Amino acid sequence: MVARHKMSTIRFSKIRVLETGYNNAALNMAIDEALIENIGDAPILRIYGWQPAAVSIGYFQSIREEVDLEKCSKIGVDVVRRLTGGGAVLHEIELTYSFITKQYPQNIMESYRWICETIVISIKRLGFDASFVPLNDIVVKGKKVSGSAQTRRKGVLLQHGTLLLGVDVDKMFCVLKVPSEKFKDKIIKDVKERVTSLAGTTFEEMASSLKTSFATKFDAKLLADTMSTEEINHANWLAERKYNSGEWNRRR
Amino acid sequence: MKRAHNVYKSQKLIRIMLEYDETENTINWITIAGDFFLYPEEALETLEAGLIGTKLEKETLKQEIDNCLKNSEVYGFDSTSLTEAILGCKT
Repeated sequence: MVARHKMSTIRFSKIRVLETGYNNAALNMAIDEALIENIGDAPILRIYGWQPAAVSIGYFQSIREEVDLEKCSKIGVDVVRRLTGGGAVLHEIELTYSFITKQYPQNIMESYRWICETIVISIKRLGFDASFVPLNDIVVKGKKVSGSAQTRRKGVLLQHGTLLLGVDVDKMFCVLKVPSEKFKDKIIKDVKERVTSLAGTTFEEMASSLKTSFATKFDAKLLADTMSTEEINHANWLAERKYNSGEWNRRR
Repeated sequence: MKRAHNVYKSQKLIRIMLEYDETENTINWITIAGDFFLYPEEALETLEAGLIGTKLEKETLKQEIDNCLKNSEVYGFDSTSLTEAILGCKT
């Protein structure tokens, strides 16, 4: 049975920190799933990037409807389906985080707030006036700089999300399809008005601030760690068999 | 047997792919896709399976959607908007 927690009561003695560097899309999603499957008592804060650039689509999205696969292939952009819902994202100039834990608020809205407010603090520390907009966005001066998504499996919560360090909306719409070609220009203009980045912030600065915020919020010691052999093997297997497969990526 | 699709903007974008029996006015097959959130995720497959055989009528559809999603949490649409999205395939 999963224990029920109020947000304020959850503390961790330590948080395992995994900085897994830059990986391709299939391996990035496979690592998240492998960590869910192999998690111990301590929650995990994972920090990572994408190489090459990649489009991830939400669990419920149709890859054919959302992504220009031919264009992605031509310009070397990976494509992968996430374990989590939400929309299609172009991952390029950003820091991506995952927080994986067995203790969390059971209420979904509360659990998003619980993690996103920690992210907000880390952005504020860098001098940006950030705030949380439910369900899953973080904005600076009304413009989105971060989006997150969650899944819960076997009593484990995974929330992963992006922190935009740069944004190229034109490239985004070069690889993402729009619901209506007729209104494509307007859609791009709207996104340019609604999305911004934490420009001037480096990956390392963002990572450092994120770690400090999680340690402070949960009164936890940070344990810098690497993935175990078992976790690496599991992730490689999932990358090859699941996240690189048409069966998974073209499921809808 | 007729195939149809619809893109419907609720709080999130819903894409419906539908195959239905024109004589009986019932759903033969349906796929619901979009950028919404649904917990647990498997509930969408339960919903799609549950809608097979359902009459393409507003109240019946809404009732079946509510029934299938009663143990789930959805962010991005509700039974009213999903009903409209499905019925929109026919127009």
